[in-house]
Amino acid sequence: MALEQYKGDMEMCCRCSACKFIPMQKIKGSEFSYACPSIARYNYHAYSAGGRMNIGAHALKNGMNYTPKLLDVVYNCQLCGACGVSCNYAMDMEVLEPITEFRMKCNEDGKTDTKLDKVIDGLKKTGSMVPVKGKRGDWATGLKIKDATKEKVDVLFHVGCLTSYDPAMQKLAKSIAAILQKAGVNFGIAGDAETCCGGRAYQMGYKDAFLAQAKKNMEMIKKAGVKTLVTGCADGYQAFKVLYDQFDLKGDLEVLHITEFIDRLIKAGKLKLNKKVNLNVTYHDPCRLGRLGEPWIHWSGKKIPGDRFVFDPPKEYRRGTKGIYQPPRDVLKSIPGVKLTEMTRIMDYSWCCGAGGGVTDSNPDFAVWTAQKRIEEAISTGAEALVTACPWCEKTLNEAIKASGSSLKVYDIVELVERAI
Amino acid sequence: MIEKEKLVKIAGTSNVSYDRAQLDEYARDISFVNAVRPECVVKPTSTEIVQQLIKLANETATPLVPVSSGPPHFRGDTVPSIGGAVIVDMSKMKKIINVDRARRVAMVEPGVTFGELIAAAEKEGIRLNLPLLPRKSKTVIGSLLEREPVIMPKYQWDISDPLACVEVIFGSGDEFRTGQAAGPGTVAEQWKVGGVQKAPYGPGVASWHRIIQGAQGTMGIVTWASMRCELIPKAEEPFVVGADNYTTLLELASWLVRLRMVNECFILNSTNLAAIFAKKWTKDYQALKDALPTWILFYNVAGYEYLPEERVSSFIKDITDITKRLGVEAVKAIGGISANEILKTVQQPSEEPYWKLRYKGGCEDILFLTINDKLEGQISTMFDTVKKSGYPSSDVGVYIQPIVQGTGVHCEFNLFYDPANASEVNRVKNLNNAAVKALLTNGAFFSRPYGENSKMIMNRDAATISVLNKLKKMFDPNNVMNPGKVCF
Amino acid sequence: MALTKEQYKAFEDVVGAENISDDKAIMPAYYNTDFAAIILPGNTAEVQACVKLCNKFKRQFRPICTGWSGMFPKDLILLDLRRMNHIIEINEKNMYAVVEPYVISAELQAEVMKRGFNFCVKGAGTNCSAMLRGHGHLDQTTSGDDRNHLAIEWVTPEGEIVRSGALGSADEWFCGDGPGPSIRAILTSAVPPGVTPGVFTKAAVKLYHWPGPAAYPIQGHSPKYTLSEIPPNMMARYYSFPSVEKMWNAEIKLGENEICYELMGFNAAMVACNITTCNEEEEVVFAKMSKEVQGPGFFVIIGGNSRDDFEFKKKVLEQIVKENDGKSLKTVENPEIEGILLCQCTRISASIRETFRAGGAFNSIPIMGQRDLTIKWAIGAGKAKEPLIKKGLIVDDGGAFFGWGVEQGHLGKTEIFCKFDPQNAEAKKAVEDWQKEQSHRAFTERYFASTMGPQDEIGPALMNYNLWWNKIVHALDPNGVSPEGGALV
Repeated sequence: MALEQYKGDMEMCCRCSACKFIPMQKIKGSEFSYACPSIARYNYHAYSAGGRMNIGAHALKNGMNYTPKLLDVVYNCQLCGACGVSCNYAMDMEVLEPITEFRMKCNEDGKTDTKLDKVIDGLKKTGSMVPVKGKRGDWATGLKIKDATKEKVDVLFHVGCLTSYDPAMQKLAKSIAAILQKAGVNFGIAGDAETCCGGRAYQMGYKDAFLAQAKKNMEMIKKAGVKTLVTGCADGYQAFKVLYDQFDLKGDLEVLHITEFIDRLIKAGKLKLNKKVNLNVTYHDPCRLGRLGEPWIHWSGKKIPGDRFVFDPPKEYRRGTKGIYQPPRDVLKSIPGVKLTEMTRIMDYSWCCGAGGGVTDSNPDFAVWTAQKRIEEAISTGAEALVTACPWCEKTLNEAIKASGSSLKVYDIVELVERAI
Repeated sequence: MIEKEKLVKIAGTSNVSYDRAQLDEYARDISFVNAVRPECVVKPTSTEIVQQLIKLANETATPLVPVSSGPPHFRGDTVPSIGGAVIVDMSKMKKIINVDRARRVAMVEPGVTFGELIAAAEKEGIRLNLPLLPRKSKTVIGSLLEREPVIMPKYQWDISDPLACVEVIFGSGDEFRTGQAAGPGTVAEQWKVGGVQKAPYGPGVASWHRIIQGAQGTMGIVTWASMRCELIPKAEEPFVVGADNYTTLLELASWLVRLRMVNECFILNSTNLAAIFAKKWTKDYQALKDALPTWILFYNVAGYEYLPEERVSSFIKDITDITKRLGVEAVKAIGGISANEILKTVQQPSEEPYWKLRYKGGCEDILFLTINDKLEGQISTMFDTVKKSGYPSSDVGVYIQPIVQGTGVHCEFNLFYDPANASEVNRVKNLNNAAVKALLTNGAFFSRPYGENSKMIMNRDAATISVLNKLKKMFDPNNVMNPGKVCF
Repeated sequence: MALTKEQYKAFEDVVGAENISDDKAIMPAYYNTDFAAIILPGNTAEVQACVKLCNKFKRQFRPICTGWSGMFPKDLILLDLRRMNHIIEINEKNMYAVVEPYVISAELQAEVMKRGFNFCVKGAGTNCSAMLRGHGHLDQTTSGDDRNHLAIEWVTPEGEIVRSGALGSADEWFCGDGPGPSIRAILTSAVPPGVTPGVFTKAAVKLYHWPGPAAYPIQGHSPKYTLSEIPPNMMARYYSFPSVEKMWNAEIKLGENEICYELMGFNAAMVACNITTCNEEEEVVFAKMSKEVQGPGFFVIIGGNSRDDFEFKKKVLEQIVKENDGKSLKTVENPEIEGILLCQCTRISASIRETFRAGGAFNSIPIMGQRDLTIKWAIGAGKAKEPLIKKGLIVDDGGAFFGWGVEQGHLGKTEIFCKFDPQNAEAKKAVEDWQKEQSHRAFTERYFASTMGPQDEIGPALMNYNLWWNKIVHALDPNGVSPEGGALV
């Protein structure tokens, strides 16, 4: 889709500011009422979804007016989609899609961020969004994990760039492997044949780089004959499940986040969580597992001429309703000794950890600032630990903790599950 | 100075007086402001006359002092501040123009007193939210324009209530109707399509009546005003609660007002309640005072057209839960005064003589607005000042009135004295001055600055004065309207 | 005209480099005009310093809050008050709250509900500034228009800080009037055309008792929330009546008997908007409800301070409705619908569904004041909508108007609007013509005069208020730096 195709949506924006806040009914006071990190940090209306929509509509009429400030606006957004959920409580219009397309347009016009260019260059060279040291599957050495490209497996565990290469995050891969082994799942990894899902490249505005990655992955998957893919990374999850589908690349592949898969295993009696993990926790919904993890809806149609913004055939909007919210919570509830206290901003209106949209690379300070706001919210619940379900969230939240000197702990949900088995 | 002939031509011979004795009545009042004899008194009988008078005053730089209520006046606002003034006595404009039950509104001319309006409104089934026992000669418009507190705080949504709209001739000579009355069309044309003059805001975004209220006649002369009225209840059940300390009573009153369960609701001290209800002076007064607790909260639970008794009983039940929690008891009589008697009394103006004058013939009021948390400190400040002055503490009357649905409190100290006794007069005068000073430093807000203390009060807010002066220049460019009052 | 380097630097010295921008590319986010600069002051002192600089440089400025509406001429300096977003005080004993301009109603309301209070959230929506002047769903209990403000902190167009009422004299927020005449007369944060010049930097608003829960027990996901239970001693219903006269009679009796926490004169179309999650569903539900209602109606919320109080109110409500042949809408009796309406219509969180969702725009004629009088006019204005509906230019809402009693029926508000697609030039013109014609009819028939109308006609019919107002503005703003047209929304 090109920006032009969202002209009507952008023109529908009435600047009501709902996009800046969590859904109005859910506002519990003057604290934790903001939904959008970008406007919360940078304050000018342009940084809100409403501002972006109005700039977009103006650009379609008058042409793009590239200035340093405009590019600052464009790249200081995690594309977390909270704006769309709040807007779509009342309005029938696309929000995140035109904002994403605006970034794509900048990219097409060569108005990129040099720091992001560097990351994408790396991706093109190494197939990774993070610096590469050693081989992708090094973490699995000695763990007796099948190579899905060579052996027949029921489940392909897509490990992801950060979990594969970052020594601090490899523990998550190991936890997942241990859990799957304990449950007797016939799974494997692709090892060196695994490459980046491309999801983060897409968020950064590099559609071609994303498509190249997606094609490589699906080729490998088809070749391996895998029917089910499981990942512990929310970015990877959204890429395989939603973006690949959006570009008609997913086929029949079943894509599950590890929390969904563990939830299934527990409910099927294949995984028993017996050991006590005494911990008061709160749970952070990763954006791309939650609201942006809901399935893509294929649609094409035309606006019906007349008084209403309606289409033939009727358009169903992705409002964040069908994201993955309950499985991780059910898993947490299954761990003996874990007490879950919810934060104010949860599920479809969860506050982003700061890592999305390439912001960790283009403006790490903003990413950490965003994560710090989340840490403050987590602390306000009285929890000892903040649990999430994505390595990017865990990394960014930990950086914020380090910066703020908080004693709060951050865990991925798989770490707690591993402790409980 | 306006020539006599011109005044006579405008207002008619019988409505213009240069009689010295009559002028002396306007030259002073019960307050401590300096006596200044006016040049003459004019009693207009129509809006047109008022307008012509103001035009003439502008041409001749003659000060005009508007008066509507009859004597005795208490605040010095109707005594000229400078010589050569013409008193514009509005008491002859006495029409009750409209009483509309369906829209709960009435419209009167400036000379109409509370007693007169109460009778007319009652016939239609409505009534005004009254100040506490106004004197018989007090006019409704006079009270409304002074922003006097009213005894049913539940129905005071805004401090300007119950005033609705006014017709005013500004000091510039321009006629203006505020709020809904502004138009389109004349008042008669508005009536014709079913319109009344009730919504107070506008025209445009301004709330013009707020400039006229509290101005003590310095902006213009009001020739009629409309006011919101309340329904007369079908059932009423009044109560009194006594206590040695008013803080619990204030908390109770706050809850009653917040929950909108009571109509009339105020706190008096024993001095004031005795001053109102003593029948035989002075023996009865002291006995009554002795029989009363120091503080008395009065409130009235009411029911309207539908299931009035059921409403009253459900409210009483809920109120009992609160009184139990606060450790006080609501009763039907106190010190021999029944709650019903209090209710009946406060739904009318004061009997003659005016209750504030019965004890000693004179009374000086110190009145201000405040918030609950500050009241205790301010009352202590007052009594400390009283003690230092030598004025008997037990003679200080106190009236505490929750205002504007509980957003604030009107506090009033009534200092009774004998006007014929020079030493008492001096003591009260000095006390008044010292108390206002002390209260100001303790956060009292004197929203209605009168007399000698008004400069001291106004000087505290230079920024507001600066804006007020800009407004004054527009509405009364030649400063003919009651010069010397407020900050003008 | 752009700011000179010297001017830019001066403003930058006040707010810091991060809080000023003259980059043209971001301006369409606010409005389709070239602002001289966008400035984000963080407190009263910064606002004051900016305003003084505007006077020094003879530059015009306008303040905005959430930036929803307003009219902004070219070269204006836009003071975006977004950073001023603090609740300064909630005084429970004296029932008021003090807020900065960018505190939105949803935030303040959530805070005060925890403490057992509510306040007048404007019908425009809870996404607006809490200090906005206006009317809303809660007016029956919380009043409306200019009657909810207490003290206000105001930076005048000349850059002086005026603190009205008790604030200026006694440093307290509880009263905005006096000493002497009240400057509250001219302190108004209403929508254009006439707004007080300068900037309101803080305001105290009245609080009212709230008989409902500290927070609603909401479940589900956006856009379909439900309540897990109806809060105790609360009830919501929609009643339709066989005639406007009967509806009005029931409305005024309910007001006089002080029964309703909320009495919102929704029409069926607005209820349908409220309870549906998308345009298509709304059309279906409206068609169904149109058959279910017998005529005009209103939505009612009863809130009891106790079980007895609730039962009493319920009994009186039912009696008054029965006497006026009212009929309860079955759709709303469904607890799922009742629950979400209770929540949405007290938290005022679905106004956008009622107005913008359908076509993206609406043009309205709102009238404040006397309800029975304005209803008479609105019937005609509703009929005049019908040809536009037939032509498909505006959304079919049955030609309805809406409104409610304010202060238990003492005052009132009536409004009628047309929803349309603003990209459709024919529809836009037809709606503008309807608006002009109906406003003009109201004026000539002496119902009311919309001050949005032509000032040379309206002004003289309303005591030349416009000339007086212009005089006031000129006196306050001798350098003409604070033009009308922006709104503190």
